[in-house]
Amino acid sequence: MRMIAMVVSWLSLAALTAPSVMYLAGAERMDLDTVKRIMLWASVVWFVTAPMYMWNGKKEGAG
Amino acid sequence: MDQQAQVQQGGAVEGSQHEGAAGGEFERQPVPQSRLLGFKSFIGMYAGEHCAGTELMIGPLFVAAGVSAYDLVMGLIVGNALAVLSWVFLCAPIATRARLTLYYQLEKICGKYLVKLYDVANGVMFCFLAGAMITVSATALGVWFKFPMPGLTDLYPNSVGWVVAVLAVGALISVVAAYGYETVSKFANIAAPWMVLVFLVFGFVGLRQFITSTGAEIHSAGDLWTLAKTSIWKGGDPLPGQVKFTFWHVTFFAWFCNMAMHVGMSDLSVFRFAKKSWYGVASASGMYVGHFMAWISASILYAYQLHLNAADTDVLPGPLAFRAAGLAGLICVIIAGWTTANPTIYRAGLAFQAIIPKASRFKVTLLTGLVATIAAMFPMLAMKLLGFVALYGMLLMPMGAVVVVDFWLMRKLGLRSNFAELSGRPFNWAAGLAWFLTLGFCGAVMILYGFDKMFFVSLPGWFVAAVVYILASMVYQKAVRPAGLAA
Repeated sequence: MRMIAMVVSWLSLAALTAPSVMYLAGAERMDLDTVKRIMLWASVVWFVTAPMYMWNGKKEGAG
Repeated sequence: MDQQAQVQQGGAVEGSQHEGAAGGEFERQPVPQSRLLGFKSFIGMYAGEHCAGTELMIGPLFVAAGVSAYDLVMGLIVGNALAVLSWVFLCAPIATRARLTLYYQLEKICGKYLVKLYDVANGVMFCFLAGAMITVSATALGVWFKFPMPGLTDLYPNSVGWVVAVLAVGALISVVAAYGYETVSKFANIAAPWMVLVFLVFGFVGLRQFITSTGAEIHSAGDLWTLAKTSIWKGGDPLPGQVKFTFWHVTFFAWFCNMAMHVGMSDLSVFRFAKKSWYGVASASGMYVGHFMAWISASILYAYQLHLNAADTDVLPGPLAFRAAGLAGLICVIIAGWTTANPTIYRAGLAFQAIIPKASRFKVTLLTGLVATIAAMFPMLAMKLLGFVALYGMLLMPMGAVVVVDFWLMRKLGLRSNFAELSGRPFNWAAGLAWFLTLGFCGAVMILYGFDKMFFVSLPGWFVAAVVYILASMVYQKAVRPAGLAA
Protein backbone atom coordinates (compact mmCIF):
# COMPACT_ATOMS: atom_id res chain seq x y z
CA MET A 1 0.00 0.00 0.00
CA ARG A 2 2.80 2.35 0.98
CA MET A 3 4.62 1.65 -2.27
CA ILE A 4 1.47 2.26 -4.32
CA ALA A 5 0.84 5.53 -2.51
CA MET A 6 4.41 6.56 -3.21
CA VAL A 7 4.20 5.81 -6.92
CA VAL A 8 0.83 7.50 -7.31
CA SER A 9 1.96 10.58 -5.39
CA TRP A 10 5.07 10.97 -7.53
CA LEU A 11 2.97 10.54 -10.66
CA SER A 12 0.67 13.27 -9.37
CA LEU A 13 3.62 15.63 -9.11
CA ALA A 14 4.51 14.80 -12.70
CA ALA A 15 0.89 15.50 -13.66
CA LEU A 16 1.09 18.79 -11.75
CA THR A 17 3.95 20.11 -13.86
CA ALA A 18 3.66 18.38 -17.23
CA PRO A 19 0.65 20.42 -18.47
CA SER A 20 2.44 23.70 -17.77
CA VAL A 21 5.50 22.48 -19.66
CA MET A 22 3.28 21.62 -22.62
CA TYR A 23 1.56 24.98 -22.30
CA LEU A 24 4.93 26.73 -22.28
CA ALA A 25 6.00 24.72 -25.32
CA GLY A 26 2.87 25.96 -27.10
CA ALA A 27 1.10 22.60 -27.40
CA GLU A 28 -2.10 23.28 -29.31
CA ARG A 29 -4.48 21.29 -27.14
CA MET A 30 -3.16 22.61 -23.84
CA ASP A 31 -4.85 25.86 -22.92
CA LEU A 32 -4.53 27.57 -19.56
CA ASP A 33 -7.89 26.36 -18.27
CA THR A 34 -6.87 22.77 -18.92
CA VAL A 35 -3.58 23.36 -17.14
CA LYS A 36 -5.42 24.72 -14.12
CA ARG A 37 -7.91 21.85 -14.07
CA ILE A 38 -5.24 19.15 -14.26
CA MET A 39 -3.19 20.95 -11.60
CA LEU A 40 -6.12 20.93 -9.22
CA TRP A 41 -6.72 17.20 -9.63
CA ALA A 42 -3.03 16.44 -9.36
CA SER A 43 -2.93 18.46 -6.13
CA VAL A 44 -5.85 16.52 -4.70
CA VAL A 45 -4.13 13.23 -5.52
CA TRP A 46 -0.87 14.44 -3.95
CA PHE A 47 -2.52 15.50 -0.70
CA VAL A 48 -4.43 12.23 -0.48
CA THR A 49 -1.53 9.88 -1.25
CA ALA A 50 1.54 11.63 0.15
CA PRO A 51 0.38 11.64 3.80
CA MET A 52 -0.03 7.85 3.57
CA TYR A 53 3.73 7.45 3.69
CA MET A 54 4.99 10.88 4.73
CA TRP A 55 2.84 11.60 7.77
CA ASN A 56 4.56 9.17 10.06
CA GLY A 57 7.77 9.04 8.06
CA LYS A 58 11.19 9.81 9.43
CA LYS A 59 11.62 13.48 10.15
CA GLU A 60 13.79 15.12 7.54
CA GLY A 61 14.70 18.21 9.48
CA ALA A 62 18.03 18.72 11.03
CA GLY A 63 17.00 18.06 14.39
CA MET B 1 14.12 35.23 3.90
CA ASP B 2 11.67 33.57 5.14
CA GLN B 3 10.46 30.51 6.17
CA GLN B 4 13.44 29.67 8.04
CA ALA B 5 10.77 29.65 10.51
CA GLN B 6 9.29 26.50 9.31
CA VAL B 7 11.87 23.94 9.83
CA GLN B 8 14.59 25.51 11.79
CA GLN B 9 13.64 22.85 14.09
CA GLY B 10 16.74 23.17 16.04
CA GLY B 11 16.75 26.90 15.64
CA ALA B 12 15.15 29.61 17.58
CA VAL B 13 12.32 27.47 18.75
CA GLU B 14 14.54 25.40 20.75
CA GLY B 15 16.96 28.15 21.30
CA SER B 16 14.53 30.63 22.62
CA GLN B 17 13.17 28.38 25.20
CA HIS B 18 15.49 25.53 24.87
CA GLU B 19 12.86 23.15 23.71
CA GLY B 20 11.31 22.50 20.36
CA ALA B 21 10.99 20.29 17.41
CA ALA B 22 14.49 19.09 17.70
CA GLY B 23 12.76 17.05 20.24
CA GLY B 24 14.10 19.18 23.01
CA GLU B 25 17.32 17.26 22.59
CA PHE B 26 20.87 18.34 23.34
CA GLU B 27 19.92 21.88 24.20
CA ARG B 28 22.64 22.26 26.77
CA GLN B 29 25.14 19.68 25.61
CA PRO B 30 26.97 18.93 22.37
CA VAL B 31 25.15 16.68 19.92
CA PRO B 32 26.71 13.19 20.24
CA GLN B 33 28.24 11.38 17.24
CA SER B 34 25.44 8.83 17.24
CA ARG B 35 22.83 11.50 16.48
CA LEU B 36 24.53 13.17 13.53
CA LEU B 37 22.63 13.39 10.25
CA GLY B 38 23.63 12.77 6.65
CA PHE B 39 23.94 15.29 3.85
CA LYS B 40 20.55 14.45 2.31
CA SER B 41 18.66 15.53 5.43
CA PHE B 42 19.99 19.06 5.03
CA ILE B 43 19.25 19.27 1.31
CA GLY B 44 15.59 18.36 1.88
CA MET B 45 15.24 20.71 4.80
CA TYR B 46 16.72 23.75 3.08
CA ALA B 47 14.90 23.16 -0.23
CA GLY B 48 11.55 22.99 1.57
CA GLU B 49 11.96 25.80 4.00
CA HIS B 50 13.05 28.49 1.56
CA CYS B 51 10.01 28.18 -0.66
CA ALA B 52 7.56 30.15 1.46
CA GLY B 53 4.68 32.55 1.23
CA THR B 54 6.96 35.55 1.41
CA GLU B 55 8.68 34.51 -1.85
CA LEU B 56 5.43 35.51 -3.54
CA MET B 57 5.91 39.05 -2.25
CA ILE B 58 9.65 39.33 -2.76
CA GLY B 59 9.67 38.32 -6.45
CA PRO B 60 7.10 40.96 -7.45
CA LEU B 61 8.76 43.61 -5.29
CA PHE B 62 11.94 43.17 -7.34
CA VAL B 63 9.94 44.12 -10.43
CA ALA B 64 8.37 47.03 -8.54
CA ALA B 65 11.93 48.11 -7.69
CA GLY B 66 12.66 48.51 -11.41
CA VAL B 67 15.20 45.72 -11.65
CA SER B 68 16.64 44.77 -15.05
CA ALA B 69 16.98 41.18 -16.30
CA TYR B 70 20.78 41.10 -16.03
CA ASP B 71 20.77 42.66 -12.57
CA LEU B 72 18.16 40.23 -11.31
CA VAL B 73 19.58 37.01 -12.70
CA MET B 74 23.26 37.77 -12.07
CA GLY B 75 22.49 39.38 -8.71
CA LEU B 76 20.62 36.31 -7.55
CA ILE B 77 23.30 33.92 -8.79
CA VAL B 78 26.08 35.85 -7.03
CA GLY B 79 24.10 36.80 -3.90
CA ASN B 80 22.84 33.28 -3.30
CA ALA B 81 26.35 31.91 -3.81
CA LEU B 82 27.62 34.33 -1.17
CA ALA B 83 24.87 33.19 1.18
CA VAL B 84 25.85 29.55 0.67
CA LEU B 85 29.51 30.42 1.26
CA SER B 86 28.51 32.17 4.49
CA TRP B 87 26.85 28.99 5.69
CA VAL B 88 29.83 26.89 4.60
CA PHE B 89 32.66 29.03 5.95
CA LEU B 90 31.14 30.97 8.85
CA CYS B 91 28.32 28.97 10.36
CA ALA B 92 28.89 25.27 9.70
CA PRO B 93 32.56 25.08 10.84
CA ILE B 94 31.64 26.42 14.29
CA ALA B 95 28.47 24.31 14.42
CA THR B 96 30.30 21.07 13.69
CA ARG B 97 33.06 21.81 16.20
CA ALA B 98 31.01 23.11 19.15
CA ARG B 99 27.80 21.20 18.31
CA LEU B 100 25.76 23.59 20.46
CA THR B 101 22.63 25.62 19.76
CA LEU B 102 23.20 29.30 19.08
CA TYR B 103 21.39 30.15 22.26
CA TYR B 104 23.44 28.00 24.54
CA GLN B 105 26.61 29.24 22.88
CA LEU B 106 25.41 32.84 23.25
CA GLU B 107 24.56 32.21 26.88
CA LYS B 108 28.12 31.03 27.52
CA ILE B 109 29.54 34.08 25.77
CA CYS B 110 27.05 36.80 26.60
CA GLY B 111 25.29 35.72 29.77
CA LYS B 112 21.66 35.00 30.54
CA TYR B 113 20.38 38.57 30.53
CA LEU B 114 21.89 39.51 27.20
CA VAL B 115 20.46 36.35 25.66
CA LYS B 116 17.04 37.38 26.95
CA LEU B 117 17.45 40.70 25.18
CA TYR B 118 18.37 38.79 22.04
CA ASP B 119 15.19 36.75 22.54
CA VAL B 120 13.09 39.91 22.63
CA ALA B 121 14.68 41.26 19.44
CA ASN B 122 14.24 37.91 17.73
CA GLY B 123 10.65 37.56 18.97
CA VAL B 124 9.63 41.02 17.74
CA MET B 125 11.12 40.37 14.30
CA PHE B 126 9.42 36.97 14.15
CA CYS B 127 6.13 38.67 14.97
CA PHE B 128 6.44 41.05 12.04
CA LEU B 129 7.65 38.30 9.74
CA ALA B 130 4.62 36.21 10.67
CA GLY B 131 2.51 39.30 10.01
CA ALA B 132 3.82 39.46 6.44
CA MET B 133 3.00 35.77 6.00
CA ILE B 134 -0.55 36.31 7.27
CA THR B 135 -0.87 39.17 4.79
CA VAL B 136 0.11 36.82 1.96
CA SER B 137 -2.50 34.24 2.98
CA ALA B 138 -5.20 36.90 3.41
CA THR B 139 -4.76 38.04 -0.21
CA ALA B 140 -6.01 34.60 -1.25
CA LEU B 141 -9.29 35.22 0.58
CA GLY B 142 -9.75 38.39 -1.44
CA VAL B 143 -10.07 36.32 -4.60
CA TRP B 144 -13.05 34.49 -3.13
CA PHE B 145 -14.75 37.28 -1.24
CA LYS B 146 -13.92 40.16 -3.59
CA PHE B 147 -13.23 42.79 -0.94
CA PRO B 148 -10.92 45.69 -1.78
CA MET B 149 -7.31 44.75 -1.09
CA PRO B 150 -4.37 47.04 -0.32
CA GLY B 151 -2.29 48.58 -3.08
CA LEU B 152 1.48 48.88 -3.37
CA THR B 153 1.56 52.32 -1.75
CA ASP B 154 -1.03 51.66 0.95
CA LEU B 155 0.29 51.95 4.47
CA TYR B 156 -2.93 51.35 6.40
CA PRO B 157 -5.82 48.88 6.10
CA ASN B 158 -8.05 50.04 3.28
CA SER B 159 -11.27 48.08 3.76
CA VAL B 160 -13.33 46.35 6.40
CA GLY B 161 -13.17 43.18 4.31
CA TRP B 162 -9.38 43.23 4.43
CA VAL B 163 -9.34 43.67 8.21
CA VAL B 164 -11.82 40.84 8.69
CA ALA B 165 -9.88 38.53 6.35
CA VAL B 166 -6.58 39.20 8.14
CA LEU B 167 -8.29 38.75 11.49
CA ALA B 168 -9.78 35.40 10.43
CA VAL B 169 -6.50 34.06 9.00
CA GLY B 170 -4.44 35.42 11.91
CA ALA B 171 -6.79 34.02 14.55
CA LEU B 172 -6.79 30.59 12.95
CA ILE B 173 -3.01 30.49 12.65
CA SER B 174 -2.51 31.78 16.19
CA VAL B 175 -4.86 29.24 17.78
CA VAL B 176 -3.19 26.37 15.92
CA ALA B 177 0.24 27.69 16.88
CA ALA B 178 -0.82 27.97 20.52
CA TYR B 179 -1.76 24.30 20.56
CA GLY B 180 1.72 23.45 19.27
CA TYR B 181 2.96 23.27 15.76
CA GLU B 182 3.89 19.62 15.36
CA THR B 183 0.92 18.79 13.14
CA VAL B 184 1.37 21.86 10.98
CA SER B 185 5.04 21.04 10.70
CA LYS B 186 4.20 17.56 9.42
CA PHE B 187 1.73 19.01 6.96
CA ALA B 188 4.34 21.54 5.84
CA ASN B 189 6.77 18.72 5.06
CA ILE B 190 4.14 17.05 2.90
CA ALA B 191 3.23 20.27 1.12
CA ALA B 192 6.84 21.29 0.44
CA PRO B 193 7.57 19.27 -2.75
CA TRP B 194 4.15 20.16 -4.17
CA MET B 195 4.63 23.82 -3.34
CA VAL B 196 8.04 23.99 -5.02
CA LEU B 197 6.53 22.59 -8.22
CA VAL B 198 3.58 24.99 -8.12
CA PHE B 199 6.10 27.84 -7.93
CA LEU B 200 7.82 26.36 -10.98
CA VAL B 201 4.49 26.23 -12.79
CA PHE B 202 3.94 29.92 -12.00
CA GLY B 203 7.12 30.65 -13.95
CA PHE B 204 6.22 28.43 -16.91
CA VAL B 205 2.72 29.85 -17.22
CA GLY B 206 3.90 33.45 -16.84
CA LEU B 207 6.56 32.94 -19.48
CA ARG B 208 4.07 31.48 -21.96
CA GLN B 209 1.71 34.38 -21.32
CA PHE B 210 4.51 36.82 -22.11
CA ILE B 211 5.44 34.93 -25.28
CA THR B 212 1.83 34.92 -26.45
CA SER B 213 1.05 38.53 -25.61
CA THR B 214 4.25 39.94 -27.12
CA GLY B 215 4.17 37.63 -30.14
CA ALA B 216 7.83 36.83 -29.50
CA GLU B 217 9.39 33.96 -31.43
CA ILE B 218 11.48 31.84 -29.11
CA HIS B 219 13.92 29.54 -30.91
CA SER B 220 16.96 29.86 -28.70
CA ALA B 221 18.18 30.89 -25.29
CA GLY B 222 19.14 34.20 -26.90
CA ASP B 223 15.53 34.82 -27.90
CA LEU B 224 14.40 34.06 -24.38
CA TRP B 225 16.96 36.47 -22.94
CA THR B 226 15.81 39.18 -25.33
CA LEU B 227 12.23 38.66 -24.15
CA ALA B 228 13.39 38.83 -20.54
CA LYS B 229 15.29 42.10 -21.13
CA THR B 230 12.72 43.86 -23.23
CA SER B 231 9.42 42.71 -21.74
CA ILE B 232 9.76 41.06 -18.34
CA TRP B 233 12.49 42.82 -16.35
CA LYS B 234 12.89 46.04 -18.29
CA GLY B 235 14.70 48.02 -15.62
CA GLY B 236 14.06 51.75 -15.43
CA ASP B 237 12.53 53.69 -12.61
CA PRO B 238 11.01 51.88 -9.64
CA LEU B 239 7.32 52.15 -8.89
CA PRO B 240 6.31 54.91 -6.42
CA GLY B 241 7.47 54.26 -2.87
CA GLN B 242 10.02 51.58 -3.85
CA VAL B 243 13.82 51.77 -3.79
CA LYS B 244 15.54 51.33 -7.19
CA PHE B 245 17.27 47.93 -7.28
CA THR B 246 20.56 47.48 -9.14
CA PHE B 247 22.80 44.43 -9.45
CA TRP B 248 24.34 45.31 -6.10
CA HIS B 249 20.99 45.64 -4.35
CA VAL B 250 19.88 42.25 -5.63
CA THR B 251 23.21 40.65 -4.73
CA PHE B 252 23.28 42.01 -1.20
CA PHE B 253 19.60 41.32 -0.67
CA ALA B 254 19.98 37.68 -1.73
CA TRP B 255 23.08 37.37 0.44
CA PHE B 256 21.71 39.06 3.54
CA CYS B 257 18.02 38.16 3.51
CA ASN B 258 18.90 35.11 5.61
CA MET B 259 21.68 36.91 7.40
CA ALA B 260 20.29 36.04 10.82
CA MET B 261 20.69 32.38 9.91
CA HIS B 262 24.19 32.23 8.41
CA VAL B 263 26.24 35.28 9.41
CA GLY B 264 24.00 35.74 12.45
CA MET B 265 24.61 32.07 13.36
CA SER B 266 21.03 30.95 14.01
CA ASP B 267 21.79 27.86 11.96
CA LEU B 268 24.41 26.71 14.43
CA SER B 269 21.39 24.94 15.88
CA VAL B 270 20.84 23.16 12.56
CA PHE B 271 24.38 22.30 11.51
CA ARG B 272 25.36 21.02 14.94
CA PHE B 273 23.74 17.82 13.65
CA ALA B 274 25.93 17.72 10.49
CA LYS B 275 28.69 15.15 10.22
CA LYS B 276 30.92 17.52 8.23
CA SER B 277 31.09 21.26 7.95
CA TRP B 278 30.93 21.14 4.15
CA TYR B 279 27.30 20.06 4.56
CA GLY B 280 26.72 23.81 4.61
CA VAL B 281 26.58 23.59 0.82
CA ALA B 282 23.18 21.92 1.28
CA SER B 283 21.83 25.43 1.81
CA ALA B 284 22.29 25.88 -1.96
CA SER B 285 19.16 23.78 -2.46
CA GLY B 286 17.13 26.37 -0.57
CA MET B 287 18.83 29.33 -2.16
CA TYR B 288 18.51 28.21 -5.77
CA VAL B 289 15.03 26.70 -5.41
CA GLY B 290 13.40 29.33 -3.20
CA HIS B 291 15.53 32.40 -3.67
CA PHE B 292 16.18 31.95 -7.36
CA MET B 293 13.50 29.89 -9.07
CA ALA B 294 10.59 30.94 -6.81
CA TRP B 295 11.51 34.63 -6.80
CA ILE B 296 11.94 34.66 -10.56
CA SER B 297 8.65 32.80 -11.09
CA ALA B 298 6.72 35.13 -8.81
CA SER B 299 8.31 38.17 -10.43
CA ILE B 300 7.27 36.97 -13.90
CA LEU B 301 3.63 36.82 -12.77
CA TYR B 302 3.77 40.38 -11.49
CA ALA B 303 5.64 41.64 -14.55
CA TYR B 304 2.88 40.12 -16.69
CA GLN B 305 0.26 41.93 -14.62
CA LEU B 306 2.09 45.22 -15.26
CA HIS B 307 2.50 44.29 -18.92
CA LEU B 308 -1.27 43.97 -19.27
CA ASN B 309 -2.02 47.11 -17.29
CA ALA B 310 0.82 49.36 -16.15
CA ALA B 311 -1.51 51.07 -13.69
CA ASP B 312 -2.28 47.80 -11.89
CA THR B 313 0.65 47.91 -9.48
CA ASP B 314 -0.94 45.97 -6.61
CA VAL B 315 1.30 43.20 -5.28
CA LEU B 316 -1.26 40.61 -4.28
CA PRO B 317 -0.03 37.01 -4.26
CA GLY B 318 -3.56 35.57 -4.13
CA PRO B 319 -4.86 37.04 -7.39
CA LEU B 320 -1.44 36.58 -9.07
CA ALA B 321 -1.40 32.87 -8.26
CA PHE B 322 -5.06 32.39 -9.14
CA ARG B 323 -4.62 33.90 -12.58
CA ALA B 324 -1.66 31.62 -13.30
CA ALA B 325 -2.69 28.33 -11.72
CA GLY B 326 -6.33 28.59 -10.70
CA LEU B 327 -7.49 26.99 -7.50
CA ALA B 328 -4.24 25.05 -7.07
CA GLY B 329 -2.34 28.35 -7.14
CA LEU B 330 -4.68 29.86 -4.59
CA ILE B 331 -4.30 26.87 -2.28
CA CYS B 332 -0.53 27.21 -2.68
CA VAL B 333 -0.69 30.82 -1.46
CA ILE B 334 -2.75 29.86 1.57
CA ILE B 335 -0.59 26.88 2.47
CA ALA B 336 2.66 28.76 1.83
CA GLY B 337 1.59 31.56 4.15
CA TRP B 338 0.01 29.33 6.75
CA THR B 339 2.71 26.69 7.10
CA THR B 340 5.34 29.37 7.55
CA ALA B 341 3.43 31.84 9.71
CA ASN B 342 2.42 29.10 12.09
CA PRO B 343 5.83 28.04 13.38
CA THR B 344 7.01 31.64 13.20
CA ILE B 345 4.32 32.68 15.67
CA TYR B 346 5.08 29.65 17.79
CA ARG B 347 8.75 30.54 17.88
CA ALA B 348 8.05 34.19 18.60
CA GLY B 349 5.85 33.05 21.47
CA LEU B 350 8.65 30.91 22.84
CA ALA B 351 11.09 33.79 22.55
CA PHE B 352 8.78 36.02 24.58
CA GLN B 353 8.03 33.28 27.06
CA ALA B 354 11.74 33.00 27.76
CA ILE B 355 11.48 36.49 29.23
CA ILE B 356 8.62 35.52 31.53
CA PRO B 357 9.12 31.78 32.10
CA LYS B 358 6.13 31.50 34.43
CA ALA B 359 3.66 32.76 31.83
CA SER B 360 1.55 30.14 30.07
CA ARG B 361 3.00 29.30 26.66
CA PHE B 362 -0.52 28.98 25.28
CA LYS B 363 -1.48 32.51 26.32
CA VAL B 364 1.83 34.03 25.27
CA THR B 365 1.58 32.42 21.82
CA LEU B 366 -2.00 33.65 21.43
CA LEU B 367 -0.95 37.14 22.39
CA THR B 368 1.99 36.96 19.99
CA GLY B 369 -0.38 35.83 17.24
CA LEU B 370 -2.63 38.78 18.00
CA VAL B 371 0.30 41.19 17.62
CA ALA B 372 1.32 39.51 14.34
CA THR B 373 -2.29 39.70 13.12
CA ILE B 374 -2.55 43.39 13.92
CA ALA B 375 0.76 43.96 12.12
CA ALA B 376 -0.59 42.02 9.13
CA MET B 377 -3.51 44.42 8.80
CA PHE B 378 -1.04 47.16 7.87
CA PRO B 379 0.03 46.49 4.29
CA MET B 380 3.12 48.66 4.69
CA LEU B 381 4.80 45.67 6.33
CA ALA B 382 4.37 43.38 3.31
CA MET B 383 4.81 46.10 0.70
CA LYS B 384 8.11 47.12 2.31
CA LEU B 385 9.17 43.53 2.87
CA LEU B 386 12.53 43.96 1.12
CA GLY B 387 13.53 46.63 3.60
CA PHE B 388 12.13 44.76 6.58
CA VAL B 389 14.08 41.62 5.71
CA ALA B 390 17.29 43.64 5.41
CA LEU B 391 16.59 45.21 8.79
CA TYR B 392 15.92 41.81 10.37
CA GLY B 393 19.32 40.49 9.32
CA MET B 394 21.06 43.66 10.41
CA LEU B 395 19.55 43.58 13.87
CA LEU B 396 20.83 40.10 14.71
CA MET B 397 24.07 40.13 12.70
CA PRO B 398 26.34 41.63 15.41
CA MET B 399 25.82 38.61 17.65
CA GLY B 400 27.03 36.40 14.83
CA ALA B 401 30.24 38.41 14.67
CA VAL B 402 30.59 38.00 18.44
CA VAL B 403 30.27 34.22 18.14
CA VAL B 404 32.86 34.03 15.32
CA VAL B 405 35.38 36.19 17.18
CA ASP B 406 34.81 34.39 20.43
CA PHE B 407 35.24 30.97 18.85
CA TRP B 408 38.26 31.62 16.59
CA LEU B 409 40.12 34.67 17.83
CA MET B 410 39.77 35.27 21.56
CA ARG B 411 42.34 32.75 22.74
CA LYS B 412 44.76 33.75 20.00
CA LEU B 413 44.52 37.32 21.27
CA GLY B 414 45.22 36.26 24.83
CA LEU B 415 41.60 36.72 25.86
CA ARG B 416 39.10 34.24 27.25
CA SER B 417 36.24 32.82 25.25
CA ASN B 418 32.87 31.98 26.78
CA PHE B 419 33.56 34.76 29.26
CA ALA B 420 30.07 34.98 30.77
CA GLU B 421 30.20 31.32 31.75
CA LEU B 422 33.73 31.67 33.06
CA SER B 423 33.07 34.80 35.10
CA GLY B 424 29.52 33.91 36.14
CA ARG B 425 28.33 37.29 34.86
CA PRO B 426 24.76 37.39 33.50
CA PHE B 427 25.54 40.23 31.08
CA ASN B 428 28.83 40.40 29.16
CA TRP B 429 29.15 44.10 28.49
CA ALA B 430 31.75 43.56 25.78
CA ALA B 431 29.23 41.56 23.72
CA GLY B 432 26.46 44.00 24.63
CA LEU B 433 28.52 46.97 23.48
CA ALA B 434 29.43 45.16 20.25
CA TRP B 435 25.72 44.72 19.55
CA PHE B 436 24.54 48.20 20.52
CA LEU B 437 27.42 50.17 18.97
CA THR B 438 27.14 48.20 15.72
CA LEU B 439 23.45 48.98 15.49
CA GLY B 440 24.29 52.60 16.25
CA PHE B 441 26.87 52.56 13.45
CA CYS B 442 24.38 51.02 11.00
CA GLY B 443 21.71 53.52 12.00
CA ALA B 444 24.11 56.44 11.58
CA VAL B 445 25.15 55.26 8.12
CA MET B 446 21.51 55.03 7.06
CA ILE B 447 20.68 58.46 8.44
CA LEU B 448 23.71 60.05 6.82
CA TYR B 449 23.68 58.27 3.46
CA GLY B 450 20.03 57.27 2.99
CA PHE B 451 17.85 54.42 4.14
CA ASP B 452 18.43 52.44 0.96
CA LYS B 453 21.88 51.70 2.45
CA MET B 454 20.18 49.25 4.79
CA PHE B 455 20.79 46.62 2.12
CA PHE B 456 24.58 47.07 2.33
CA VAL B 457 25.45 48.37 5.76
CA SER B 458 25.50 44.96 7.43
CA LEU B 459 28.76 44.11 5.68
CA PRO B 460 30.87 46.83 7.31
CA GLY B 461 28.65 46.42 10.37
CA TRP B 462 29.93 42.86 10.87
CA PHE B 463 33.53 44.09 11.03
CA VAL B 464 32.55 46.91 13.38
CA ALA B 465 30.95 44.36 15.70
CA ALA B 466 34.03 42.13 15.59
CA VAL B 467 36.44 44.98 16.35
CA VAL B 468 34.26 46.46 19.11
CA TYR B 469 33.90 43.05 20.73
CA ILE B 470 37.67 42.50 20.77
CA LEU B 471 38.49 45.98 22.08
CA ALA B 472 35.70 45.96 24.66
CA SER B 473 36.73 42.45 25.79
CA MET B 474 40.30 43.66 26.36
CA VAL B 475 39.00 46.25 28.79
CA TYR B 476 36.14 44.22 30.26
CA GLN B 477 38.08 41.02 30.87
CA LYS B 478 40.74 42.99 32.74
CA ALA B 479 38.16 44.72 34.89
CA VAL B 480 36.07 41.64 35.59
CA ARG B 481 38.36 38.77 36.36
CA PRO B 482 36.82 35.34 36.83
CA ALA B 483 36.84 34.39 40.51
CA GLY B 484 39.09 31.38 40.03
CA LEU B 485 41.65 33.44 38.12
CA ALA B 486 41.83 36.48 40.35
CA ALA B 487 45.35 37.73 40.86
